[in-house]
Amino acid sequence: MNRRNFIRNASLATAGAFGVPYILPSGRLFASTGEQMAPHVVYVLFAGGVRQQESVLQRYLDDSQGMPFAGNIMYNMFNGDSPENKIVYGTDQGNGSAGGTPIPRILSQTLESQGLLFREVRAGSAGHYGGLNNLLQGSTVTTQGLKQKPLNPTIFEYLRRHGGYPASKIWFIGNGIGNSIPLLNYSNHPNYGSRYGANFFAPSITFGNLGFEHLSNARIYHPENELDPMYQMKYFLDQSFSSVGEGGDSLGNTEEEKLSIKEFMRDMYERVTLNAVALPPVTDNTDSLSIGFACEVMKWFKPALTVVNLSGVDGCHSDFTGYLRSLHRADHAVGHLWNYIQTQIPEMAGNTILIASPECGRNLNPNPIKDINDWYGYDHSDANSGRVFTIMAGPNVPSNLGIGSEGNPIGLTSDNVPTIGQILGVKNEIMNAGFLAPGTTSLFDRI
Amino acid sequence: MKVKPFLLFLALCAVLGACRKPEANDLYEVNQVALYPSIADKNKMKTQEQYVSILHTNLFQTALSGSELVQIIDCLESIGDKELGREVLISNFMNKPGVILPSDSLMRADPEVFVMQTYERFFVRRPSEAEKTWFIEFIEANPSLSAELVYFAFALSNEYLYY
Repeated sequence: MNRRNFIRNASLATAGAFGVPYILPSGRLFASTGEQMAPHVVYVLFAGGVRQQESVLQRYLDDSQGMPFAGNIMYNMFNGDSPENKIVYGTDQGNGSAGGTPIPRILSQTLESQGLLFREVRAGSAGHYGGLNNLLQGSTVTTQGLKQKPLNPTIFEYLRRHGGYPASKIWFIGNGIGNSIPLLNYSNHPNYGSRYGANFFAPSITFGNLGFEHLSNARIYHPENELDPMYQMKYFLDQSFSSVGEGGDSLGNTEEEKLSIKEFMRDMYERVTLNAVALPPVTDNTDSLSIGFACEVMKWFKPALTVVNLSGVDGCHSDFTGYLRSLHRADHAVGHLWNYIQTQIPEMAGNTILIASPECGRNLNPNPIKDINDWYGYDHSDANSGRVFTIMAGPNVPSNLGIGSEGNPIGLTSDNVPTIGQILGVKNEIMNAGFLAPGTTSLFDRI
Repeated sequence: MKVKPFLLFLALCAVLGACRKPEANDLYEVNQVALYPSIADKNKMKTQEQYVSILHTNLFQTALSGSELVQIIDCLESIGDKELGREVLISNFMNKPGVILPSDSLMRADPEVFVMQTYERFFVRRPSEAEKTWFIEFIEANPSLSAELVYFAFALSNEYLYY
């Protein structure tokens, strides 16, 4: 081969190497073609049935208990002055009255002023389960049963299948394993399913007493000398069995990803023992635990999508005072989450978009159950339960912009799925898949 | 009139005859389990409870208590990647006192017997010639391979999820 031929062949080979499409870990041939608005999204499912009256509308006791005391108890998220009287939502230390000391704000600038607030959004369901499915699938499937895997693809699967994201870049942090929470990380849809699912932890179990008892004392195997031959044997056994059946519930974490997740778990058990988990300053409910471990997951894996489910406010059925306290803490937790990203995770600071929406609202009128302050509880089943908000902040999100109002609802909770798709570059694929609820579109298209 | 006392007497004899102390030579056994004639006969997936119970019995040769079983199932539920969850559980079991594993020297003394017994223990079937040959060669080609790792691979395999 002369020099000219060599150079020509080498050039062709190089061009070919770049031109040949890569098969992504997800099995997808090409990465998504959509342009990303940001490389990371944190999505807060907030937080177990929230009335507009005590959140966006900042009416505190004025529109629930017939007491003329209004004010904003979510001052990390929304602009507005806090209540001046009947303070019950804070911590107990300080002035001696129960809940009388509001938790100091974490963010110097509210998420509302940093970003975009859809003040009046229609929820796809008046219940938690339908609402969560709506937030994660972008669809309203009336045949979806409790304790059942989602029927339509979830945002996790859209991202992994169409965006080519590896499993360890897509995470769902649950508030527990009750109801259907651990089932929501992927659907039963034949074109999607577990191989495109999200990694999931329920920290109160995984890293709680049960996890310590049964998962924390794992034998540590050498990755090359021990795990590698073990996996070789497993793959051989699986190959022999492949004509009969398969595991069916693997998320497709690679060996390296599995190793990283196991190392993360070991690290968490140590951190729990040392009381060094990145929890919010006030940690007196389960939501703070979920947020703390979500921070740890983000710091370790730098996920493209982290979804965290909060549920503390659901005590409102029988304890309105507890509801106010939980709402205040959920705001505190979100403030901590945003602050932690900006100050403790350099890879995600300044290039992460946060989205938060309640899965459903709560009733206009109370039920007859009174709490310790003789305040009535609220269930969720009427039209007021279909009223929620969506707040966003981060790069390429308009700042200090409010959309819609109490009399002018704009947006659906199902919009969050194509919105996340747009941020991460797979909006068109999601819109064209054909599973979204009628009228659903990216929130950026509603501005 | 005399039939009733007679029947009562017979019933008493029957009860007394049935109640006797166990003899020292009484032998209690578990039922023999028939091996699967072929791999294709496994078409039902184990529940998580079945998987964990059988795994514990295979590794410890004792039954898992009901409360422990519920706790372990909760732990597995709390991890999204079930295969990863099983891997973490197995490696925890391997670290617990009481786990019963064949010694490495036993495995290397007669790899064929070890492979046959491992297939029967975990898969309740005999290996095909190809499977047996592959494993024997793999054991012989990897001098540092332990019996524990072989057990780990079988416990983590897809076939072990079925019966």
